[in-house]
Amino acid sequence: MILAGILSPITVTHYLVVGIILFVCGIVCLVVKRNIIAMLIGVELILNGANINLVAFSSPQLFASGTAPLLLDGQVFALFVMILAAAEAAVALAIALQFYSRFGTVDVDQGGQLNG
Amino acid sequence: MNELLELITQIEQNLAVSVRLWIPEICLVVTAIALLLQRMVFPAWRRGASFIMFVGSVAALAVLIWQVAGQSNAAGSVGAFLDVLRLDQLAAFLRGLILLFAVLFSVLTWLTHWPRIEDRGEFYVLFLGSVIGMCTMVAAENLLLVFLGMEMASLPSYILAGFEKRERRAGEAAMKFAVFGAAMAGVMLYGLSLLGGSLGSLDLPTMRANLTALASHRDLHGHGLSLILGTLMVVAGIGFKLSAVPFHFWLPDVFEGAAAEVGVFLSVISKAAALGLLTRLCLTLLGTDQASAAGLPGPLIPFVVGTLSLLAAVTCTYGNLAAYGQTNFKRLLGYSTIAHAGYLVMPVAAAVAALPVSQETARWAVASMLFYLVVYMFMNIVAFAGAAFLSRGAPGEKIENYSGLVRTAPGFVICLAITLFSLVGLPPLGGFAGKFAIFASLASAQLWALLVVAAVNTVFSLFYYVRVVKVMVLDPAAQSLSFSLPLSSPQGMFLVLTTAPVVLLGILWQPVFDLVCRAAGCQ
Repeated sequence: MILAGILSPITVTHYLVVGIILFVCGIVCLVVKRNIIAMLIGVELILNGANINLVAFSSPQLFASGTAPLLLDGQVFALFVMILAAAEAAVALAIALQFYSRFGTVDVDQGGQLNG
Repeated sequence: MNELLELITQIEQNLAVSVRLWIPEICLVVTAIALLLQRMVFPAWRRGASFIMFVGSVAALAVLIWQVAGQSNAAGSVGAFLDVLRLDQLAAFLRGLILLFAVLFSVLTWLTHWPRIEDRGEFYVLFLGSVIGMCTMVAAENLLLVFLGMEMASLPSYILAGFEKRERRAGEAAMKFAVFGAAMAGVMLYGLSLLGGSLGSLDLPTMRANLTALASHRDLHGHGLSLILGTLMVVAGIGFKLSAVPFHFWLPDVFEGAAAEVGVFLSVISKAAALGLLTRLCLTLLGTDQASAAGLPGPLIPFVVGTLSLLAAVTCTYGNLAAYGQTNFKRLLGYSTIAHAGYLVMPVAAAVAALPVSQETARWAVASMLFYLVVYMFMNIVAFAGAAFLSRGAPGEKIENYSGLVRTAPGFVICLAITLFSLVGLPPLGGFAGKFAIFASLASAQLWALLVVAAVNTVFSLFYYVRVVKVMVLDPAAQSLSFSLPLSSPQGMFLVLTTAPVVLLGILWQPVFDLVCRAAGCQ
């Protein structure tokens, strides 16, 4: 049974499972961690989970029909997401640095001047 | 190889037309570059940044108006850049609204002397970057452009929220905004990847066609989970931009911590762009198929209507109830913005609900949303400009600090009072006409429960807006208050000029209503 599972060909579902695991890890990271840097790592995990989906949907080998739903579009989308993730990290880290210089910590709960 | 050549010829044919239609945004890019160069080339020209910003945004708006006025109704819908952008009447109207706001915003920052002259160049560059992203959002017809536009609009706004470097609260607000914003963008991207993967394309009309094929083959069950998850995640991402409950928690903090000028930017065009995107996604994906002219069968439309109605009702009620206990004026306006996001999502729900019955009703609902958006823009500009002038001149931002303001600044208080009454929706002001249009669209789409929620909320909202006016007019004057703002000063004239549309739209709504009907495609 397990052997059959291992030997069966890899399909798009396997990749989607990896994607959703990364996504859930990212969400958990965001909810549990109070450190800004750790929360940003969570965001990166979410984006990469989505990226795995996009690339899997654009790979024809993974589909029995021999053609993929997204083809090149999905791969281009994934490249754009990488660039945007880098831009987002740059902005968020600059803001985190400014937060640190003002509050002396990168713990989000230590701000506490505003209570949303 | 042949496919590639074909693609290149297609791009060549399409490019000239596309670039010509995208000139307003190119104007903004040129303005941003000029702003960056101005500091190096003419460092002595201290007012340079404001001047370049004003000229650039006026030029962009003028080009857009000239283009729209020059084209006939039938030629209104063009797919630009290989159909990734749909430049139709709706996109033209919303881009016009966004650019008009950019013009008013440059005047407002000139008058409030914020940010400081040295920082102004960077401030405007970030603002323009965000504006270009919003123009992309309202025209996007491809999931890649949807995400790109959202991120382009969001990233500079995180920095703008923390722009006041000396203010401790601004740093905290920017940090919350950036982390939650990035997280919600990631969730939305995951939703987009699910929708694109299960519908087999990133192009919205193609997705629509594939959706019909899936629904007619009773194949929807295989994709049901990914479609529902994808829809919910995309609604969550747009809901964050709209500050809909339960994705609203960043907004009051950001509005209290950031400057009022940033508040007006986030509350007006950021919402306008998100609503434009939501409308286009709903109408293209769930509307009538252009190729086969068939409606969408299956349970998807009731599901989307239910989600949007629930979102709108909860957002509206929460915003109005939470505004009661507020003592800070900017924070109060933040909650008022949340409530109005609820009112503005209602007609979108009505439009989706009307889609299977009548296209015309759906278009009227979109028109009512656009009309309210115009009124809402002017109302919020006056309210936030008032808050900005007060925060520079009066001692503190608490509402009680403003008691008896009518004795030192009568004209200012009258403008602010008119706007606050209009935000409630009292006749004969613009807010009444806008709310009436929205209620009418809810009634014609037969969303009675939502109509009741909206009506009850209007009554709720009366009290906290009137409380501000009462403190300013009836309460005894505070000792330390020395704020005065005659209407003949440039600041006063700006207030009068932006209050005038609020009053006029309540009496003479017909010209603007014709305009929004044309934008929504009503007959």
